[in-house]
Amino acid sequence: MKGLRTTTLSGVLLSAFAALAAPQVMAGVTDKDIEADAKTTTSILSWGMGTEGQRYSPLDKINVKNVKNLVPAWSFSFGGEKQRGQESQPLIINGKMYVTGSYSRLYALDAKTGTKLWQYEHRLPDGIMPCCDVVNRGAAAYGDLVIFSTLDAQLVALDQNTGKVVWKEKIDDYQAGYSNTAAPIIAKGLLLTGVSGGEFGVIGRVEARDPKTGKLVWVRPTVEGHMGYKYDAAGNKTENGISGTLNATWTGDLWKTGGAATWLGGSYDAKTGLAYFGTGNPAPWNSHLRPGDNLFSCSTVAIDVTTGQIKWHFQGTPNDGWDYDGVNEFVTFDMNGKRMGGKADRNGFFYVLDANTGKFERGFPFVNKITWAKGLDAEGRPIFDPANRPGDPAKSADGKKGESVFATPSFLGGKNQMPMAYSPDTGLFYVPANEWGMEIWNEPITYKKGAAYLGAGFTIKTIEDKYIGALRAVDPKTGKIVWEVTNNAPLWGGVMTTKGGLVFWGTPEGFLKAADAKTGKEVWSFQTGTGVVAPPITWEQDGEQYIGVATGWGGAVPLWGGDVAKKVNYLNQGGSMWVFKLHK
Amino acid sequence: MKQLLVALWLALGLGAAAGAADPLGSSRWPDLQREYAGNAPVTFDSRVEVLAPKVAEDSMNVPVTIKFRNLPDVKRVLVVADFNPIVKVLDYQPLLAQPGLSFRIKLQQASPIRALVQTGDGKWYAGGVWVDAAGGGCTAPSTGRSAPDWASTLNQVQARVFHDGQNQRVRLRIMHPMDTGLAPGIPAFYIEQLAVEDASGEAMLRMETFEPLSENPVFSFDLPDTGKAALRVVGRDNNGNRIDAMVQP
Repeated sequence: MKGLRTTTLSGVLLSAFAALAAPQVMAGVTDKDIEADAKTTTSILSWGMGTEGQRYSPLDKINVKNVKNLVPAWSFSFGGEKQRGQESQPLIINGKMYVTGSYSRLYALDAKTGTKLWQYEHRLPDGIMPCCDVVNRGAAAYGDLVIFSTLDAQLVALDQNTGKVVWKEKIDDYQAGYSNTAAPIIAKGLLLTGVSGGEFGVIGRVEARDPKTGKLVWVRPTVEGHMGYKYDAAGNKTENGISGTLNATWTGDLWKTGGAATWLGGSYDAKTGLAYFGTGNPAPWNSHLRPGDNLFSCSTVAIDVTTGQIKWHFQGTPNDGWDYDGVNEFVTFDMNGKRMGGKADRNGFFYVLDANTGKFERGFPFVNKITWAKGLDAEGRPIFDPANRPGDPAKSADGKKGESVFATPSFLGGKNQMPMAYSPDTGLFYVPANEWGMEIWNEPITYKKGAAYLGAGFTIKTIEDKYIGALRAVDPKTGKIVWEVTNNAPLWGGVMTTKGGLVFWGTPEGFLKAADAKTGKEVWSFQTGTGVVAPPITWEQDGEQYIGVATGWGGAVPLWGGDVAKKVNYLNQGGSMWVFKLHK
Repeated sequence: MKQLLVALWLALGLGAAAGAADPLGSSRWPDLQREYAGNAPVTFDSRVEVLAPKVAEDSMNVPVTIKFRNLPDVKRVLVVADFNPIVKVLDYQPLLAQPGLSFRIKLQQASPIRALVQTGDGKWYAGGVWVDAAGGGCTAPSTGRSAPDWASTLNQVQARVFHDGQNQRVRLRIMHPMDTGLAPGIPAFYIEQLAVEDASGEAMLRMETFEPLSENPVFSFDLPDTGKAALRVVGRDNNGNRIDAMVQP
């Protein structure tokens, strides 16, 4: 991509304006660039710093020895009164940074100076229904476009140079509870996105579009029984097979509002040709209403990008009764000569699977305490503890409230949306984990369009006073936790690691920290002034290595406070981009 | 001596046109000429008529009509309001339309409203009027902003067509908040492209539109009569939301 001339795409697609439109020359970010993203130090083109999602950089200019000299290079305010959770991972393209902000905003900045080039503010209707704060996790890049999703379930493609809208497509109806907060990814020249809205009985799915036009190519539902579709160039849709087998793991009609939202997006491995999307909880929360495994909820679903078919799936929590979304990112890596994938599931188990087949290799807890299951069997399926599944309200004395249980992890999970990192140098995963539990009980519920579809009550609880968050170095070969750095408040921000032997992560208390990747010894920290709930990035420009992170406290934690509130309710909001480099 | 002075004027890059006094006496005129006509000479010409009330009754909805009937080969009409915080109102290409159009704008304070008309030979002609206004039109939130249902009517087109035997007058209203971005906390949100096409998809007129147009903007154009054939109104706003409506005669 370096050295390629960027062409301004005219932002007009309508025939009436055709005369004004410049010819659409393919320039800028190519498929090849995206496949080489993880190895390219001068750009960041995908969420995950490479579609594999390793969040590993081969840069070592900043390393364990000199990281103490890391100082701010610039800071940029997202402005306005919309200072809510900033969970975005920026992209770096040709010396420009593209970072999304809360309330569906996107900023283009000069990556070296922080000078603002343009900003786009999406006009949101009043009735949007994001479950867990008005966040956005980042954009995708293709050609001269930067593409992101909005809280009213739309996709917007902007010209990288001007910030003008080139195309905009609606994913679904926000009034039915759909929204979108994840970063889209590009795989084999297609734009892949999921949907949010798992608490509203929406149907999870993965969509593939032409990134140049936004036109649909295929749709793959992630709830068993729903039909997938393919679309030709003219937009005509044809059936592409049902996902799974109708009523194999769902009874009656419940699959029609089955949940399994793909709200964290996905990863893609060019070596397997598969896109990996995690799926959320089945709807409603009350598991007694939906006997069966409820595929493909709480799973990783591997989709052949070329055909739009599910090649394999692995379900962490069958018949989930605890809101253990399985959306967590599936990070592919090489182990013992095989292509594998690692996933730190919300249910507290870390899974190592064959990336080609989904075959279970190993599973182990990455949190201290798991009560809902006694362990995993040889296939990786949980051995449930029936005493710790919230009771059936239909069997209670008044039929209104089932037996309440205390379960760990809490519904916010052993790990939530914050992405982990993997270092091929140490062979370790760096997992931002949380230790907490919940009191949870079931209630009767019926589906109503656009209304929360839970059928459960819950309150989150701390397990001990000392800490909730723990950044853990996990060995996928042994299942051992090699080191940990605990944190008073829950970690919510994601991790990045480098060849310089460093691991970077942020805390709600406002610190961006670095530790020695081998030992976990903290070697650097900086107070950004507000909570960090976004993953850090690093890139190289004009011979210098930069570290960046979006800051701004928010996300799901402050909304579901419970007993945890006292660890976070004093934290102040913000909304900034911070960038660091070594001082000379 | 006189000749020397003229030479000096030219040498300073101010050009002869800069010397042509703005008949509206606006201090903004030299800036506007530089920005919108690239400092090319602009002739103030009575063939470019701007009709608007002397005093704006409602600063959010000031009706404006532009006429340029006797000017041949008009390619482009730029409408600007000197003292609006966002000066540019619209940039119009008449194509097949009759020489004129009407619309409504927001005025922030008393200001000239001008039409800069460019003909096929590249020459610029201008006309304009002063409109007095109580002010505040551009920095107030749109009423659509506080209406919870704006999203459900967004970009809906209401149209009426009147025939006089030769031409058809098309009056359009498009539902859109047209937020300027100047009211605190409300991002700019406005229609930026609009065209009217005939049944074969050929554009009959085309324009770029900007924030100062009134909320739910209203336009009138005179087009050649197309008989019973439907017209199509297409466009989009700065968020990429499409306008696409068929207008039956």
